[in-house]
Amino acid sequence: MAADSEPESEVFEITDFTTASEWERFISKVEEVLNDWKLIGNSVGKPLEKGIFTSGTWEEKSDEISFADFKFSVTHHYLVQESTDKEAKDEVLEDVIPQPMQDLLCMNNDFPPRAHCLVRWYGLREFVVIAPAANNDAVLSESKCNLLLSSVSIALGNTGCQVPLFVQIHHKWRRMYVGECQGPGVRTDFEMVHLRKVPNQYTHLSGLLDIFKSKIGCPLTPLPPVNIAIRFTYVLQDWQQYFWPQQPPDIDALVGGEVGGLEFGKLPFGACEDPISELHLATTWPHLTEGIIVDNDVYSDLDPMQAPHWSVRVRKADNPQCLLGDFVTEFFKICRRKESTDEILGRSTFEEEGREIADITHALSKLTEPAPVPIHKLSVSNMVHTAKKKIRKHRGVEESPLNNDVLNTILLFLFPDAASEKPLDGTSSTDNSNPPLESEEYNLYNQFKSAPSDSLTYKLALCLCMINFYHGGLKGVAHLWQEFVLEMRFRWENNFLIPGLASGPPDLRCCLLHQKLQMLNCCIERKKARDEGRKTSPSDNVTNTYSGDAGKSGDQLGPDNLRETDKDKGEVGKSWDSWSDSEEEFFECLSDTEELKGNGQESGKKGGPKEMASLKPEGRLHQHGKLTLLHNGEPLYIPVTQEPAPMTEDLLEEQSEVLAKLGTSAEGAHLRARMQSACLLSDMESFKAANPGCFLEDFVRWYSPRDYIEEEVVDEKGNMVLKGELSARMKIPSNMWVEAWETAKPIPARRQRRLFDDTREAEKVLHYLAVQKPADLARHLLPCVIHAAVLKVKEEESLENISSVKKIIKQIISHSSKVLHFPNPEDKKLEEIIHQITNVEAIIARARSLKAKFGTEKCEQEEEKEDLERFVSCLLEQPEVLVVGAGRGHAGRIIHKLFVNAQRAATMTPAEEELKRMGPPEEKRQNLAADFPPPAGRELILRTAVPRPAPYSRALPQRMYSVLTKEDFRLAAVFLRRCFHVCWRRNNRMR
Amino acid sequence: MRGSTPRGGEGLRSGRGGRLLAVRSRVRMDEDVLTTLKILIIGESGVGKSSLLLRFTDDTFDPELAATIGVDFKVKTISVDGNKAKLAIWDTAGQERFRTLTPSYYRGAQGVILVYDVTRRDTFVKLDNWLNELETYCTRNDIVNMLVGNKIDKENREVDRNEGLKFARKHSMLFIEASAKTCDGVQCAFEELVEKIIQTPGLWESENQNKGVKLTHREEGQGGGACGGYCSVL
Repeated sequence: MAADSEPESEVFEITDFTTASEWERFISKVEEVLNDWKLIGNSVGKPLEKGIFTSGTWEEKSDEISFADFKFSVTHHYLVQESTDKEAKDEVLEDVIPQPMQDLLCMNNDFPPRAHCLVRWYGLREFVVIAPAANNDAVLSESKCNLLLSSVSIALGNTGCQVPLFVQIHHKWRRMYVGECQGPGVRTDFEMVHLRKVPNQYTHLSGLLDIFKSKIGCPLTPLPPVNIAIRFTYVLQDWQQYFWPQQPPDIDALVGGEVGGLEFGKLPFGACEDPISELHLATTWPHLTEGIIVDNDVYSDLDPMQAPHWSVRVRKADNPQCLLGDFVTEFFKICRRKESTDEILGRSTFEEEGREIADITHALSKLTEPAPVPIHKLSVSNMVHTAKKKIRKHRGVEESPLNNDVLNTILLFLFPDAASEKPLDGTSSTDNSNPPLESEEYNLYNQFKSAPSDSLTYKLALCLCMINFYHGGLKGVAHLWQEFVLEMRFRWENNFLIPGLASGPPDLRCCLLHQKLQMLNCCIERKKARDEGRKTSPSDNVTNTYSGDAGKSGDQLGPDNLRETDKDKGEVGKSWDSWSDSEEEFFECLSDTEELKGNGQESGKKGGPKEMASLKPEGRLHQHGKLTLLHNGEPLYIPVTQEPAPMTEDLLEEQSEVLAKLGTSAEGAHLRARMQSACLLSDMESFKAANPGCFLEDFVRWYSPRDYIEEEVVDEKGNMVLKGELSARMKIPSNMWVEAWETAKPIPARRQRRLFDDTREAEKVLHYLAVQKPADLARHLLPCVIHAAVLKVKEEESLENISSVKKIIKQIISHSSKVLHFPNPEDKKLEEIIHQITNVEAIIARARSLKAKFGTEKCEQEEEKEDLERFVSCLLEQPEVLVVGAGRGHAGRIIHKLFVNAQRAATMTPAEEELKRMGPPEEKRQNLAADFPPPAGRELILRTAVPRPAPYSRALPQRMYSVLTKEDFRLAAVFLRRCFHVCWRRNNRMR
Repeated sequence: MRGSTPRGGEGLRSGRGGRLLAVRSRVRMDEDVLTTLKILIIGESGVGKSSLLLRFTDDTFDPELAATIGVDFKVKTISVDGNKAKLAIWDTAGQERFRTLTPSYYRGAQGVILVYDVTRRDTFVKLDNWLNELETYCTRNDIVNMLVGNKIDKENREVDRNEGLKFARKHSMLFIEASAKTCDGVQCAFEELVEKIIQTPGLWESENQNKGVKLTHREEGQGGGACGGYCSVL
C-alpha cells in the first residue's frame, strides 16, 4: 500500500484517514498492476513492420481495481511481438524517447482495417486503459476526470512506466480517452476533442493544418514540413439492379408436388435478405506533403479516382434470415414441446375410433381366411378422407391442420407405390436412381445415426420439417404423423411392404425409428410369405432347388450391399414360401401363448405317428458339398432353417440386459446358454428332419466343423484310413450340445414353433409408433434433418467452391457424428451444430451475393475472371482487401460503376445522359460529385517533428489525427514536450 | 510384449489427466469404479475365446470347456494406472450359424478382442471376414481393436508372430500373442486394451464436454458503440 512506502503519508493518514487514503490507495493499486504486468522501464522494440497491426496478434490483460466503491477495469492491450528484448530493459536508456512516442511518427500502419480505436488514432503498439468496469458507469464531472488523470500521472511518475496510460471519460459510447505517457525528459498528453457538429473550418485539410500548427506553437520559421496521410471512405448501400434474388417461398402456391417452389424432400437454402449490406471503399493517399495538394472549403484535389490506394471491405448483415437454418431450428423446437398427439389434435386419436377397431378385427379375420384379396389401390386417399372426416367430427367445422391436397401430395411422396396399380413386392423397396451406394455422402447416415438419404425415414423427416414450417406447425406435424401411423397399420394388416426401407433385419447404424420401421417390414414380409404360402397348393414341395448355403441365407444382413441382398432376398422369399406351405396348425396361432399350447398339443397328437411313418427326409435346402452321413453314406443335406429373429437396438438392449442379469456364476452361464439354445435346437431338429438317421457327428460337421477332428490312421490291413471323432469339448458328458441333440425331434423348420413371432412384434412396433409424441418424433428424426442439412450445405458449397467452407463442413460432420452417437445428446450441443450449419449457409449466401455484385460470371477474360474471383473470396475472408490498381484496375472499375449506378439512381438522372457523361476522363473529372457520394468518413493524420517547448529543444514527434463522419467529429492529438520534473522524480524514487 | 508401459497416446493423456481425475473422484462414491467398459471377444470357433476369458476372470484353465452357445458374459474389475474399470466382457460363439446373432452385440462396445489360433492358419485367414463384420456392425468408428494370437504354448505353430504383427499394423489394432493355458500375455492383453480405451477421447465417457473441434467463429466485433473496443472508423 502507498502508506507503507511513503512515511510522510502515514502521518497524513492519521489526520485524515478516509478521504486521502482512498485516492492514495487507488494510485498505489494502479502502480501495483503496472508492476505486476512488468510494464516498468523502457524497452525499445523493433520499428513496426508494414501491416503488422493487421497481421500480428493483439492480446489483452485485464484487472479490476476500485476507487472507493467505484470499480475500474485496467486493461493492457498489446501487439504480441516475437522477440521483445527484455534484457535491454535493465539498462537505463536515459535519453531515448520511449517507444510509444517514436511510434507516433511511424507511417507503416496508418488506418489499420481492424484495431482498437486508440491504435487507429495514435498508432500505438501497446497501451493501458483504465475505464469504469460497469458498462453504464461513466466518469462525467470534470473534477473527477482531473482526479483520475492526476492519479495516472502520479502512478506513471512513481513507477517509471513508459507505456501510455489512458483514462476513459464520459459515456462509453463517446469513446473519449485522455492519457499520458512519460519518458526520460519527455512527457506527453494524449488529448481529444469530440464534437457532434463540425466547425466548418475543420472539414478540410487546410483548416486542420492550421489547428495543428497553432497547437504546436513552434517558434521556428519556416516550420518543418508536415506529413499528411488521408483516407476517405465511401459507403455503398444501394446495390441497384443487383437486388437480392431470393424471395421467401410462397406458401400458398401448390403446384403438383411442389409447395411454394419447394418440393417435398428437398430443403430450402439461402438468405431471404441480402447478406451483404454495405460496401465500404477506402481511398487512401498515404504519403502527402503539405503544399502538394489543395483541399479547402471551395476546392479539393482529392478525387477518389486518383487516390493511389484503394481498399474495400464489406459489411455483412447481422444474422441474415437463412431458410435452411430457420427450417432446422424450427424443427428442433418441436423437440421441446410436451404435448401428445392427442392433446394437439384435440381428441383421442386411436381408441375412440370405431372404424379403426373394425379395421383391426377385419384384419385379424383376414388371417384366417384362406385367400385374402390384396387391395391394389392403396389406401392413401381413402385414409385422408376418413381422417379428415374424423377430425371434423371431433372438432366441429374447424379446418384440419393439413389440407387435403398437401396431405395427399406428401403421402404420395412418401408412399409412391400407393399410386401404382401393380401389387407390391419386396424388391421395389429401393430404387437405384439414388446416389451411388458406396459414396461417402450416401454413407453419412452411418456417422450421424440417421437413415439413408433415399429411405422413407429420411423423407418423412424432411416432410415433417416442411409441414412444421409452412403447413400448420406442430398441429400439422401431429396430423401427418397420425396419418403415417395409420398407413403403417394398414400396410401390416394388408400385407403391403413399406417402401423405401432396405430389406433385411433392422440396421443398427440407423436411428431407432428407422429400425422400428424395418422391423415392421420384416414382420410384414414374413406374414405375407406365410399368407401366400397358404394360398399355394399344398402339394408343391420344392426343396432341393436352392443354390445358396446356410450361411448365406441366414447372413443376408449386408445393408451396405443392397444389390446382393436383393438377390438373396429372392431366395429367402422362396424358401419361406416353401416351408410355410400347408402348415395351418402352426401359423394359425394368434398369440405367443396360444401358439405354444397349440403347437405342443399338435406335436403330441400328430408328431408321433408322423415321425414313425416317414423316415422320409423333409425340409432340405441343398446338399452339403460331398459330405455323406457317417453311418449310411447318404449325402448330408443342409436343412432349411428358421431365420434368427430380427432385433431393433432397444430389444437388443433388453435382451442383453436379461442375459447379463443372469450373472457370471456357472448356473447363470448355463441358464444363459439354455435361453439361447432355442436356435440351436431348432437347427438340430431341421437337420434331423432333412437327414434321417443322422448322428451328432454329422450335425457338428455342418454346424461347427472344427469340432470334428479327422486323423489319418493306419488300420489293421495297413491302409491309410481317415478316422474322425468329435472334439474333446463336444464329448463332455451332458454338455448342452449333446443335451439338445438328444431332445431334438426330427421336425422340419416349417413345422417348428416360430422363433420370431411377427404378429406380436408388429403390434409392439405399431404401438410404439402410436405413442410417440411430436417431440419424441422430432428427436428421433433430428439426425436425419441434420444429415439432410449438411448434405444440402455441401451441395451448395460445391457450386461455389469456397475452401474455408469446405473445412467447416468437415468439422461439422465430425462434430455431429460425435454428438449424435450418444443416445440423448444435449440440447446445447445440438443447437451448436444447427448454429454452425446456419453460419455456413450465410457464408455461402454472402459469397453468392458478392459474386453477383461483382459479376464474376459475366467476366469474359479468363485472367481477369480469376483475379476477380480471388478478390471476391478475399472480401469474404479478410477484413479489408486492397484493390489492385486502385480505381484503374479491373475490380476498381467495377466498384466505380457500382457507385455511379447508385448515384444515378439517387439523383434520378436518366440513363442515356449518364452514358454520355461517362466519356473522356477530363470531362468525368468534373462530374466527380456525381460519381461518388460524399465520403462517409474522412480521416487525416498530420505528423511532424519539431523542437518544443523552446526552439533549442530536441525535435520531438507531434501528431494529430482527425476523423469526420456524418454525426461525429474527433481530433486526437499528441504534442510532445520536454520536461524536467518527471526526470527528477523518477531518479529520486527508483534505482 | 511390453507391459502396460506408456506409449503413443501419452501426450494426449497427460493433457486429459486433470479431467480424468475429476471424473474419478466424482464416481468414487459408487464403488470406486471409473467406468464400465463393454468388451467383445470374437473369432473362429475353437480358437480359445472362452478359455482366454476364463483365464482372465477366474485365472483358471479348463481344457474341456464346452462350446459356447450364443453369447456368454463375464464381469471383472481391473485397475489400470490406478483407475478402476469394470469390464463387462461378452464372449461369443464362433460358429457360422451363431454369427447371425452376434453382430447385435457389437453395439456399444468400446473394445473388441479378435482371437485366432496360432496353430491353425485357417483361423488367421478368416480374420478378414471378422474385420469386415466389425466394420459393418460397429456403431462407432473409434472402437479399440486388439488382435490376440492364442495357444502359443503349443508346438505346432502355423502362424508366425510377425504375420500377426503385420496384420495388426495394417488394420491399426493392438497385438499380443498369448496362451490361455500357460497364462502368457492374458492379463496384459486386457490391461492394454483397457488402457487404450481410457486414452481414447470420447470412447468411455458419455458426457464429453468441451471435446472435439471448436467450431465457434470469432464473433463479429462489438462494433463501435458503447464498448470502447475494437472498431473500424465506421
